Amino acid sequence: MSWNHDGQGPADPSGIEYLDGLYSYAMILTRNHAEAEDLVQETYVRAIQAMGRLREGSNIKSWLFTILRNVWLNHLRKLRNGPRLVSMEAEDGSARDIVGPAKNSHEVYVSKIETAQVRAAIQQLPTEFREVVLLREYEELSYQEIAGVLDCPVGTVMSRLGRARAKLRTLLSGTLIAANPSGVKGTT
Amino acid sequence: MKGCDDYRASIPLYLDEELETGDYENFRAHLNDCEACRAEVEEEEQLSRLLHRARPLYSAPDVLRERILALAEGARQPSAQFRVWIRRFGWPAGIAAAILLATGILAARQVLLQARANSYIESAMAAHRSFVNGSLSLAVQSSSPGVVTAFFNGKVPFKFRLPEETANERPYQLTGAQVVSYRGAHAALVGYEMQQEKISLLVASSRSAVVAGGEQVPSGGIMFHYFKRANFNVITWSTHGLTYALVSSLPGSGRQSCLVCHQDMANHGRFTLQ
Repeated sequence: MSWNHDGQGPADPSGIEYLDGLYSYAMILTRNHAEAEDLVQETYVRAIQAMGRLREGSNIKSWLFTILRNVWLNHLRKLRNGPRLVSMEAEDGSARDIVGPAKNSHEVYVSKIETAQVRAAIQQLPTEFREVVLLREYEELSYQEIAGVLDCPVGTVMSRLGRARAKLRTLLSGTLIAANPSGVKGTT
Repeated sequence: MKGCDDYRASIPLYLDEELETGDYENFRAHLNDCEACRAEVEEEEQLSRLLHRARPLYSAPDVLRERILALAEGARQPSAQFRVWIRRFGWPAGIAAAILLATGILAARQVLLQARANSYIESAMAAHRSFVNGSLSLAVQSSSPGVVTAFFNGKVPFKFRLPEETANERPYQLTGAQVVSYRGAHAALVGYEMQQEKISLLVASSRSAVVAGGEQVPSGGIMFHYFKRANFNVITWSTHGLTYALVSSLPGSGRQSCLVCHQDMANHGRFTLQ
C-alpha cells in the first residue's frame, strides 16, 4: 500500500497503525467482535481498491474511518432488506478481556476494572454519541474531521459531544470518585 | 465584557483545542481569575483523563492484524511493480501490472477468505476433540431430532431444525446437542454416533462462518468442501444462511466418509433454516 501522500499518512506503508482505532470504531458500531473484525477487514479491502483515487494531501486517517462507517451503513441496509435472523447478543468483550489480574499487581487490576467500566459506559450510549466520543477522545480527530466522517455539520458534532460527555459523567460518576477520592479540584 | 456563562460554552472548545488563538488567550486569562470555571475545566479534564486511560478502547486481535498485513502485502507487491514497469517499459507494461494489482487484491481476498474458513474448521475440530475426550458434554442427550430442535430454540441466533427421521433410517444415531461459542456468537453443536465413533456437527450463522478450499464437490446446488486434517475428516458447506462443519474420524477420505451415510448424496439439504 502506498499511502504516504502527506504527513498525515501512516508511517507504516501497510496502514496498520490505524488498526486498533478502526477496530475500536467497529466495536463501537457493532458491539460484536466477529462483526467488528469483518468490518475492519472489508474497510482495508475497499481502501486498497480505492487508494489510486486518493488525492495528494488527503487525510488518510479520516478517509479510513469514513470508509468503515460507509461499509457499516451498507451492511445495515442489507440487513434491513435481507432475511431476518434473531439478533446477535450484544457483548462488548469486557468480560473476555478481564482475565485474572497479574499477581501482586493491584494497579493492573484497577486499570482493567476501570477500562471495563469505561467501555461499558460508552457502550450504553446511543450510537451517535458513541461515535463522537470514540472519534474525539480516542482518535483525536478535529470537529471538522469528525463532521466529515459522520457527514454532518460541525455544530451537530459539538452538541452530540457535549451531551455524550454529560451522560458519561453520570454513568462514570462512581469511577470518577474512585479515581479522584480527594475530590481536589486543581487549577489548569 | 464576557461573563462566566459566555466562557462556559468555550470549555469544551478549549479542552478540544478548537479555540482560535485570540479566543484561547482570552479564555486562559478568564480562567486565571475565575475559580468556578477552573473547577469546571478540572471536572471535564478528569473525565477526559479517565477516558484516555482506557486507550486503546479495544485492541485488534492478532489474527486480524495478520490478515490485514497479508492483504496489504498482497496488494503492495503488484503496485510497486506497476510503477517500475511504467518507468522502464511504458504504459502497456503498466497496464499489465495494473491487472496484476487487481489480481493481487483478488488473491489477498482469497487468502482472507481461506483464513476465515480455516478458523471455522479449526473451531469445529477443537469442539469435536472436546466432545470425544469428554471435556465438552452434551447439554441435552437424546436421539430424538424433535427434542434437539426444541433445545436449540432461542439458544442460537438462528432457527435450526433437524429433520425428523426414524433411528433405523440411517446408520448413525443422534446422541444430543450443546450450545458452543464461535467468534463471540452462539453456535449449535450436534452429536452423533456411528460404529462407536463420535461425529459432531457444528452449525453457525454464515455471517460469521465461511467455507472455502479443500476438495470441492458440488451436489444438489450446494458446494461441499472436504478436508482430511489431523486424522479427522471434515466436511463443510453453507446453505440457507447457515454454515456447517461435520467432523469425524471415520475411515476413508472426507468424501468417502460422507458417502457412508448418504450414498445418493441427495439429502444434504435436510437441515434447513426455517
